[in-house]
Amino acid sequence: MKTTRSPRDRTLYRISYWIAVYMVGLALAAGYSKILYPDQFALAVFRYHLLPYQLVNITALYITWLEAVCAVILLFIPRWRRAALWIVLALLAVLTVAVATGILHGTAFACGCFSLSPQARPMDWFTVLRNCGLITLCLMALVGGHRARKD
Amino acid sequence: MNPLAKQIGLILLASAALAVAANLGHPRRIPWVQNWGRQMEAHAAKEKIEAVPLYRALDLLFAGNHLFIDARPAAEYLQGRIKGAVSLPFGSLAENLETLERLLETQRPLVVYCRNRECDDALMLALELRDMGKSNLVLYVDGFELWEQAAAPVEGRP
Repeated sequence: MKTTRSPRDRTLYRISYWIAVYMVGLALAAGYSKILYPDQFALAVFRYHLLPYQLVNITALYITWLEAVCAVILLFIPRWRRAALWIVLALLAVLTVAVATGILHGTAFACGCFSLSPQARPMDWFTVLRNCGLITLCLMALVGGHRARKD
Repeated sequence: MNPLAKQIGLILLASAALAVAANLGHPRRIPWVQNWGRQMEAHAAKEKIEAVPLYRALDLLFAGNHLFIDARPAAEYLQGRIKGAVSLPFGSLAENLETLERLLETQRPLVVYCRNRECDDALMLALELRDMGKSNLVLYVDGFELWEQAAAPVEGRP
């Protein structure tokens, strides 16, 4: 039997859809240069000085492809969107903690989030604020999608 | 098993497989395990010397308060250097005692640099200067090669 969605359902679904699309755009923008220049991204990960040095390259490669896979899923596989959003949320949370730790340690390096250029702006509290905004969007998409399904 | 957990697990697995496959076929392939501890920056972090990239070094140059010190051999310095930099090659400190003395006396903070990220003369020089009692030391890690590529201010180029 075909079910009709209420205007509220549709609004919630639309909001969560567009937030997911926005997250895709960000994930693609972030993943592009990391895929092309894995050495540069590994250097950015190393500069946090948070991981054992032996794990830097593997972590850098894994994060790059995790972001890319999540972006593709958010864009093309709606049934898996929730799973991808949870992963993006976890990645953002870890990154935000790493950036905040870096700032507290007085780092002068960029976060490696969207640009790997040596001329990229060093991480600062604005980076943390931006990440908190992205985490909020992610949570909104998750809640929006969940409620739309429930209704 | 919870379908969401299953999906998350599959995404994590697929990403790992892709990361392996992509790195194997990548023209800029990186080693799976690299000893970053040997890098000059890791050494600087251990020694608590402040390391800065190009962006911050440019800021320091334009602010005009810091004095840039070129740790490369004199021949390289003469072929081109960061604008206003003073030459103090780490390999020949004994021949540059006068410069060394002047730098130890100055109140200005120093930014020490070398050729590129693989060249550790700048770090060695910074450690030497610190041992001689100089504080306010900054290590510019990207080196002169990247400085020049970024079209940052240089002098002495023919």
